[in-house]
Amino acid sequence: MSRPLTTTTNTSDIAKRVLLAVICAVVLALPWLVGPYSLQLFILTMTYGMLGLSFAFTIRVGLPRFDSAAWWGIGAYTTAILMTKADMSFWLTVPIAGLVSMAVGYVVYRVAIPRGMMVFLMFGLVIALAIQQLFGSVEFFGGWGGTEVMKPPAIGGLVFDGKRELYYLGLSFLVVNLVCYYALMHSRIGRSWNAIGQSLKLASSVGIDVVRYRMANVLISNFFLALTGSFYMAFSLVAVPATFGLHKSLNVIMYVVIGGIAYSLAGPLVGALILAFVPEYMRVASEYESIITAVVIILVVIFLPGGILGWVNKQAKPWFIKVDWTKLLGRAKKPPGPPGSQ
Amino acid sequence: MDLLTLEKVGKNYGKLEAVSDLDFSVTQGTIHSLIGPNGAGKTTVFNLITGMIRPTSGRIVFNNEDITRQEPHKIAQKGIARSFQQTFLFMEYSVLDNVLTGFHMRNRAGVLREFLHTRAAREADKKATQQALEIIDFMGLGPLRDELAGNLPHGHQRALGVSIALACDPVLLLMDEPVTGMNPTESNEMVDRIQRIRERGVTILLVEHSMRVVMGISDMITVISYGKKIAQGLPDEIKQNRQVIEAYIGEDTDAA
Repeated sequence: MSRPLTTTTNTSDIAKRVLLAVICAVVLALPWLVGPYSLQLFILTMTYGMLGLSFAFTIRVGLPRFDSAAWWGIGAYTTAILMTKADMSFWLTVPIAGLVSMAVGYVVYRVAIPRGMMVFLMFGLVIALAIQQLFGSVEFFGGWGGTEVMKPPAIGGLVFDGKRELYYLGLSFLVVNLVCYYALMHSRIGRSWNAIGQSLKLASSVGIDVVRYRMANVLISNFFLALTGSFYMAFSLVAVPATFGLHKSLNVIMYVVIGGIAYSLAGPLVGALILAFVPEYMRVASEYESIITAVVIILVVIFLPGGILGWVNKQAKPWFIKVDWTKLLGRAKKPPGPPGSQ
Repeated sequence: MDLLTLEKVGKNYGKLEAVSDLDFSVTQGTIHSLIGPNGAGKTTVFNLITGMIRPTSGRIVFNNEDITRQEPHKIAQKGIARSFQQTFLFMEYSVLDNVLTGFHMRNRAGVLREFLHTRAAREADKKATQQALEIIDFMGLGPLRDELAGNLPHGHQRALGVSIALACDPVLLLMDEPVTGMNPTESNEMVDRIQRIRERGVTILLVEHSMRVVMGISDMITVISYGKKIAQGLPDEIKQNRQVIEAYIGEDTDAA
């Protein structure tokens, strides 16, 4: 398939660009548009959204992970421990957290990945429980009460201890995460991942080393989960084992499902946004929050199997201006083809 | 030259012997058919050759190299390609994109060069697309090149499976029931294509139920039943072989 020789700017392109510009403007100006409590919710949304991104990332190769929060926790604890016990600069702890997460992930998953999706899934469940237990039982990590309070990160004179600073810090992490994932998904390695996700048998028949590519995918996901953990520490300043349990790992899956599992980049963010804010606006006693969340999830799964974005994509096409969401939102439905296509 | 040799190959699932003591060789440049009643173990043999399952005994030698314990992707890289009995396709890719995956292994400009989209990488891409289109035309899927694989009718999906295998530029092509479900016209076209593939120098190991096709194009036939070889020879010999006929009695062969 060759590109058209002329590029005509039609209504849908303009609409696309305007929409993108508006979204960017809102995102950048947000701290001035909402109050501190809402801003905090947005910061959490970005954090949970990033966790969702890393879940969606491994789903692409057919590996659902039930341990997102565990690696998030490993990243958080690495940063917390290095800052409180070794007095390291926050910025240095970030790549170290990523590498630790990858190293531990490699050791654990080299046994699981060659054995397929079910084994991987089981390992994930075990890891989700074991890691939380580890953080709680070992004194070095501060036990169930958590680590010591760490100092907020700083660059020169700028200290990231206010909601606004943390919002922009979080946004930076999110943007880096999105850019890296986008680049990887559209690279040669990304095309192999797409093939693996669509047909394992056919992929190995055409010479793709399924185990190796899957491992690479999972380790990259681990890396960014840990980075999300480092950021989360800057926000929360204390690492408590209760945060990083199976419950959270399952929530992460819900963000992706609600946002739309086919949308690897925007889906998790939309899902996290909805699940963060819907309970807020329900304004009922907090005991009902879980039930309401559960009901929302069930309704979405039944009536909107493609998730929110799947539904939006259907609506937007016929009567609204034809906006091509596919590339914009990292939709997996029509993946980038192998060399020479598109 | 014996391109592929199975030496006393066996595969047990507990007490069930799916394949036992199987000995045969495929001569380079020939069309070799593997036939037998349903459940005889033919697809198992294919799975053993391509590395999807490991034999419990015996050796598999390809091009003078022992490939018995190799992984599927390595075996594919050594030059064995396969079309499947079931439909395994990249359903969300177009026909062209499906076939292009076969070029993933070859025509590589190098990972870094590809990442930077250099001239060499783009040339490789163009060449791959060109060759992919040739294969697509050859298999009769020309007008469908942009159609999603998942939308194709069954017969075309089969043809696409063969196209992907051809895209890997194989030395040995394993074809698992390529004409099953086709009408006589389509069947004849496929037979014609198989012969043309052989003319290009590809050795073919064929599993097929249609006796008309098998007897028509095979240079050599191996017959298995219940996992064991019961006969081997030229089509005329096999046609008259008593054991083969007995094995097939009650079997719904496509005599058309």
